[in-house]
Amino acid sequence: MEAMRTLLDEHQSLAAIIHAIRHMIGEIRAGRLTPDFKLFEAMVHYLDAYPEKRHHPKEDRYLFEPLKARTSEGAEVLARLEREHAEADARIKTLEQALDRYVGGAPDGFETFAQAFDAYAEFYRNHMLTEEREVLPLLIAHFTEEDWARADAGIRAEMDPMGGTRPGGKEEDFARIFSKLVAAAPPPIGFGSGPYKND
Amino acid sequence: MTQTPQTNAGANNPVLEIKDLCVSYGKVEALTNASLTVGEGQIVTVIGPNGAGKTTMLSAIMGVLGSKGRVAFDGTLEVVPEVERMVARGMNLVPEKRELFGEMSVEDNLVLGAFQRYRMGKRDHKQTLEEVYALFPRLKERRDQAAGTMSGGERQMLAVGRALMAKPKLLMLDEPSLGLAPLIVREIFRIIAELRRRGVSILLVEQNARAALQVADYAYVLETGQIAMEGPAHELADDPRVIEAYLGFGGKHQAMLST
Repeated sequence: MEAMRTLLDEHQSLAAIIHAIRHMIGEIRAGRLTPDFKLFEAMVHYLDAYPEKRHHPKEDRYLFEPLKARTSEGAEVLARLEREHAEADARIKTLEQALDRYVGGAPDGFETFAQAFDAYAEFYRNHMLTEEREVLPLLIAHFTEEDWARADAGIRAEMDPMGGTRPGGKEEDFARIFSKLVAAAPPPIGFGSGPYKND
Repeated sequence: MTQTPQTNAGANNPVLEIKDLCVSYGKVEALTNASLTVGEGQIVTVIGPNGAGKTTMLSAIMGVLGSKGRVAFDGTLEVVPEVERMVARGMNLVPEKRELFGEMSVEDNLVLGAFQRYRMGKRDHKQTLEEVYALFPRLKERRDQAAGTMSGGERQMLAVGRALMAKPKLLMLDEPSLGLAPLIVREIFRIIAELRRRGVSILLVEQNARAALQVADYAYVLETGQIAMEGPAHELADDPRVIEAYLGFGGKHQAMLST
């Protein structure tokens, strides 16, 4: 069940980033925080690159597809989750466009971004809850030891601990990016060494 | 996974072995016949609900609280553990409340962590300080700042950094994620994993069972003062009883995303 633990761990990383953005939006709205646009952009980029490009394809390939081969139970919810995975580009583009308006100084930029983020966070909350409450129990019930072994091997081959890249790989180093985000985020959600600086 | 008696098979070279440890507060027994092993280079976690006796266990091992039972550290039996001797022998505890000197600078707090080694004639604290700064660049940025002005996450980093200044053979962490934001909690656990990579043996007490089981090699579940379950951390994480009582599905994210 290493595959399941890994994906649950990745959910925690995503939830932590979403929590951080939500906190910053609240503080800006309350007038207690000056926006760090580069930090927002880096966090939104993380939400794009990490879950949408890496996390969801692994779920589809190593968990959902083999589960469908084992049982028709949960077919409807799996179809919905796969559809949501496939709509990832459109979803993140909406958020990025709203952030662009905010960064560009549009009068309604902040509220547009805040609303777009609320919608994004609400979507992810439901998406992850559905996976954890409805799909994972099905996996536990129907996956054979061979299914778990294949899923574990596949996911292990695609990642290293804490979401970094394989040594020598050309993909982004998500562990390093995550640490940079934590360092730059304002207290109490981060260490407050911002503003965020791009490499 | 097994019920007691325990077998931490991965602990080929035990740094810490406790057997039948008992602690009482008056007539109330807070810890009953608790036994565990931490192997060299292992992360061993003790999870359990609030009030289960986790902090009591660490305090007894360290010698802060009187206890009955056997504590063997680094191959030597401690008949009555005493704090100063345990520190001198290489055991270090990062308490839940951090217990920093708020009016002193970050660097002075760190250097104090090497005091015992300095008293023993070891003069390597400057090099150790640079090693700690390499692990926690944020502390170096704030080296002259008063510790009391730092954020919760920074104070936790400082508390761990101060413990590392003693070059411990065993680092005991009491609820290192308590009260911290999710983003910082993830970073704290990344650092704990990094410490293992550097060869530090760690006994980690945590209520955040999901994160603790993700990072640990071996785990114990402490309930009402007794070791209720144990096993390799990945096996415990898959155990239906642990999932039901400590991990759940979905609840944690719901809480994080709703705030």
